[in-house]
Amino acid sequence: MSVQHVQSPLTRAGQSGAASPWLVRFFLALVLGGVFVYAGALKAWDPVKFASDIQNFHILSWPLGVRLAFYLPWLEIVCGLALLTGWLRTGAVGILSALMMLFIAVTIAARVRGIDLDCGCFGSATKNLPFRWHLVIDFALLVALLVLWSPVGRLSVRVRYF
Amino acid sequence: MHGGLLRQALLLLGLAVLPAVGQAVYYGERAPWQAPAVGKDEVELPQAQAWGETVMWVDARPAAQYESEHIPNAALLNEDRWQELLPPMLNAWSPEKRVVVYCSSQSCAASHEVARRLREEAGLKNVFVLHGGWEAWLATKR
Repeated sequence: MSVQHVQSPLTRAGQSGAASPWLVRFFLALVLGGVFVYAGALKAWDPVKFASDIQNFHILSWPLGVRLAFYLPWLEIVCGLALLTGWLRTGAVGILSALMMLFIAVTIAARVRGIDLDCGCFGSATKNLPFRWHLVIDFALLVALLVLWSPVGRLSVRVRYF
Repeated sequence: MHGGLLRQALLLLGLAVLPAVGQAVYYGERAPWQAPAVGKDEVELPQAQAWGETVMWVDARPAAQYESEHIPNAALLNEDRWQELLPPMLNAWSPEKRVVVYCSSQSCAASHEVARRLREEAGLKNVFVLHGGWEAWLATKR
C-alpha cells in the first residue's frame, strides 16, 4: 500500500484565483457519499420492508426481490463509503449513476402504470413526499453524480491499495 | 479509464456481497424468502371474508381510485381528507365490527397509517390491514 499526496483543493483554488470546480467536486463527493450511506443504512436496517417496496414496482418476483433487498442497501453503503474516502471512486460513481438511471426509469414506468409508490428510499423522511419531489431529488442526485463523473476531481489525499 | 472503471465497479459489487450474505445468514428462516409474510396487524383476504357481515371495509386509497372501483360497501378514509371523512366512517361503524383497511398493494403504507390512526386517535379496537391490499382483492376476481 502506498499513500500519494496530491495538492489540496484549497491550494488549487488559491492558485487559480477563482472558485475551483475541483473544490465543488470535493464537497459534492462528501455530500453524495453521506447521502448514499444514509439511504443504504436505512434500507439495510429493515431489508424485509425494502423487499416490499421493491415488490411494489411489479417488476421482479418476490423471491428475487427479497434477495435484491438484502444486497442493494449494502451496495449503496459500499459505494457511498467509496465516495467519502476517494478509494474506488470512479467505480462507485459508475455504479451509482447506473442505479439512479435505472431507478428513475422504473419509477416513471410505475407511475405511468398507475402504481401507488412508496419507494422507501429515505425511510419515513420522504414517506409523504409528492411524486414530483421524489423525481426532483432523484434527478438532482443523478446530475451531481454526472458532475463527479469527470476524471479531473480527486480528493486531497488518495490512498492506493493496488 | 474504462478498464479502471470496470475493475473498480466489479470490486465494489463483490465487496457489497460480503455484508449482504452475512445479514442474510443472520436473518435465516426469519426472512420471508418465498412469499411476503403476514404482519401482526394484517389479515389475509379469506380470513376477512370469513368474518362475513361483521367486517367493515375501509379504503385508504386516494378518492379517485376509490370512485373508480372499490370493495362493495367500503368506506373511503384517507389521510388527505381525514377530518372530513372520519365522521361518516365512524357513523357507519359499530362496536361489533372488525375494521379492515386496505390500500392499493402489499407495500403501500397508507393502510397501515390509517389503521394506526383509527386505533390511536379514534380509539377503535379490532382494526386490521388487508394483506396484499386492493390487488389481493382483484386477484380473486380474475
